[in-house]
Amino acid sequence: MKNVYLPITIDHIARVEGKGGVEIVVGDDGVKEVKLNIIEGPRFFEAISLGKKVDEALAIYPRICSFCSVAHKLTAVEAAEKAVGFTPREEIQALREVLYIGDMIESHALHLYLLVLPDYLGYSGPLHMVEEYKKEISIALDLKNLGSWMMDELGSRAIHQENAIMGGFGKLPDKSVLETMKKRLKEALPKAEYTFELFTKLEQYEEVEGPITHIAVKPRNDVYGIYGDYLKASDGNEFPSEEYKEHIKEFVVEHSFAKHSVYREKPFMVGAISRLVNNASLLYGKAKELYEAHKDLLRATNPFANNLAQALELVYFTERAIDLIDEALAKWPIKARDEVEIRDGFGVSTTEAPRGVLVYALNVENGRVSYADIITPTAFNLAMMEQHVRMMAEKHYNDDPEKLKLLTEMVVRAYDPCISCSVHVARL
Amino acid sequence: MEMEGNGKVRIGFYALTSCYGCQLQFAMMDELLQLIPNVEIVCWYMLERDSKEVEPVDIALIEGSVSTEEEIELVKKIRENAKIVVAVGACATQGGVQSWEKDKDLEELWKTVYGDGKVKFQPKMAEPVENYIKVDYKIYGCPPEKKDFIYALGTLLIGSWPEDIDYPVCLECRLNGNSCVLLEKGEPCLGPLTRAGCNARCPAYGIACIGCRGAIGYDVAWFDSLARVFKEKGLTKEEILERMKIFNAHNPKLEEMVEKVFQEVKE
Repeated sequence: MKNVYLPITIDHIARVEGKGGVEIVVGDDGVKEVKLNIIEGPRFFEAISLGKKVDEALAIYPRICSFCSVAHKLTAVEAAEKAVGFTPREEIQALREVLYIGDMIESHALHLYLLVLPDYLGYSGPLHMVEEYKKEISIALDLKNLGSWMMDELGSRAIHQENAIMGGFGKLPDKSVLETMKKRLKEALPKAEYTFELFTKLEQYEEVEGPITHIAVKPRNDVYGIYGDYLKASDGNEFPSEEYKEHIKEFVVEHSFAKHSVYREKPFMVGAISRLVNNASLLYGKAKELYEAHKDLLRATNPFANNLAQALELVYFTERAIDLIDEALAKWPIKARDEVEIRDGFGVSTTEAPRGVLVYALNVENGRVSYADIITPTAFNLAMMEQHVRMMAEKHYNDDPEKLKLLTEMVVRAYDPCISCSVHVARL
Repeated sequence: MEMEGNGKVRIGFYALTSCYGCQLQFAMMDELLQLIPNVEIVCWYMLERDSKEVEPVDIALIEGSVSTEEEIELVKKIRENAKIVVAVGACATQGGVQSWEKDKDLEELWKTVYGDGKVKFQPKMAEPVENYIKVDYKIYGCPPEKKDFIYALGTLLIGSWPEDIDYPVCLECRLNGNSCVLLEKGEPCLGPLTRAGCNARCPAYGIACIGCRGAIGYDVAWFDSLARVFKEKGLTKEEILERMKIFNAHNPKLEEMVEKVFQEVKE
C-alpha cells in the first residue's frame, strides 16, 4: 500500500523581512519538491522609474527595502553619478561609507539578536526574551540605536534617507556630531565583541554542509569594505561590475514574484560570509584577530556561518567607521555638495548591502532614467537558499513536522533574506 | 478601550506589499518595551514566529498596499476580525510609491520587469487599503515618525480617537526658520500641500519635500495653488503631475486641480 503524504508548508516565514513561504512535498522515495514561495506582491520599481527625473527616481529607490534603504540609496546614487560622469570627493566618499556602516550596524544587530537568536534560545520571538536575557536585549538596542542615530545624522533618518544625493549631501552634521559619533563607536566596540563571542557558541547545522560558490564585491583601495568596481567569485574569477550580466543569469520561476539567479549555471551565495570568504585578507584590527582565531567556524561551506560572519562584521565596521570619520575630520571643513551636471550616460554600481551584493545599473537620457536594472542580494541568494532548505528537509522529513519547520526556517533566516527587496529585480 | 480575557489589548500587525519600513520603525522603538506588558501581540510575523493569522483583535495595524488578489481576501478577513483597523504608512494610506504609474497598464509594467515569465500568484495594481475595507484611522508617512505611533496607539488604548493633522509641512518649516527650498532655491518642494508631523525633516536638510505624508485632508489639498507656483517657475503640467503623484497618485482631487491651473492659462 502506498503511503499518503501531505505537503509540509510554512505559509509565512516569520522573522524575516517580507512575505515568503516554504513548501516541501514528500513522496515514497523521500523529498520530491522544495519551493520557496515569494508571495509578496510585485512593485515594479524599475518599470515605474523609467522616464522619470533622476532625482525623483533616486528618492523612490530606497523604498524598495527598509532594512537596507541606505544601501539602495547610495548604490543608486553612485550608479547615477557614474552614468553622468561624476566622481565624488574622497571625504564625501568616506562619509557615505560611514552612513552605509550605520545601516550595516543596525541591520546586523537586528538580524542577529531579534531574528536569529530567539530560535537558539527557544523563544518564538525576541519580545519574550526581555526578562531572561536583559543584557542581550540591551546590547541589541544599543547597537541598533547607534546605527539608527548614524543614519539620522548623516542621512536625515533611519529609514528612507533623503540627505544623500548626487554630488554629496544636502547638509552635513557639525564637526562635534562626528566627534560624538567616534566616541559612541568606540563605546560600542566591546558590545560588538560580546556579540561575536556569543555567536561563536551557536550551532551550525552540518545537514547543510557542502560546497558553495561565493560572490562578493572586490573592495576599493584594498581595504575590506562596501564599495567596489569589480565582482569576485570564490572560484577565482573576477570581472568588472559592468559585465555582471555576462556572468550572472536571471530567470523567472513560477512560484515566486522574485527571480532566481545562477552563476556558471549554478546557484551561488552572497552576504557577510561571502565577503569573508573572498576578502578576509583585507580585514585589519580586532576583527582580523578574531577571524584568525575562529576561521574554523567561519566556513565557506555552511550558510549558518553567515550569522557569525555578520557578528564579526559588527566588530570590523565599528572600527572602520572610526577610521573613516578620522579621514573626513582631517579634511574639515567639508563642503557638503558639488554641483553635478546631468549628462547622458550609463553607470553600474555594485556595493555590499548588509545581506550581500547589490547591483544598480542606470541609464540617463535628457535628465531622465531610460533604463534601470536592480538586482538585490536576496534575489541572488534565492536559488541557493532553496537548495539548502532542500538539504535540511532531506535529513529531517521523517521527524516531527514542527521540528522540520523550525529547522528550515532557521536555514532561511541564516541568509537574512530581504524578501520585499527581492521582488523587484528586472531585466530590460 | 474595553478589554476581554486577560485584560490585555489584542493587537495584530499585518503586512501587505511594502518595504516593511513601518513595521521596522515600530520594532525599533524602545518605547515598545513599555507597551508590551499591556498588550497581547496576536500576529506580527516580522518578530513573532507564533503569529496567528487571522484571529480576533482589538486593533489591527495594516502596512502595505493591496497588490495581489490574495491580499484583497486578507484585508477583508482582517476587517471581519478587528474592532479598529488602522492603516499604517504611505502604502496602506495612499498606495505607496508603487502607485506612481497607476494609470499604466499592469500588463505593460509586468512585461518590463518579468518579460514573458508567469507566476502562480495574481498581481494587481497597488491600491490603498481603504479601497477595499473601512479604515478607522490612518498613520501617515514613509515611514511614519515614531511619535505618530505613540500618539495613535496611546490615544486608542485609552479609548479615545487620535486627531488628524490639518496643517502642512510648510508651517513646521517656517516655524523652524529653515530657508525656503521652493522660493529661495526654486526646487519643486511639496511642503505647502503635504501633511505636517515630520518637523519638516527634508527641507531642514535643504532637500525638497516629495510628499511622503500625503496631501493634507479635509478637502483642502492645495494641489492647484502649488501647481500655479510650479508653473510660474517653469515646470510643465506633466512634471508637476509626476512629482505630486509620487505619493498622491490615488488622490481624487489631484488631476482635476492641476488641470484647472493649466486651463486658466489657456483662457
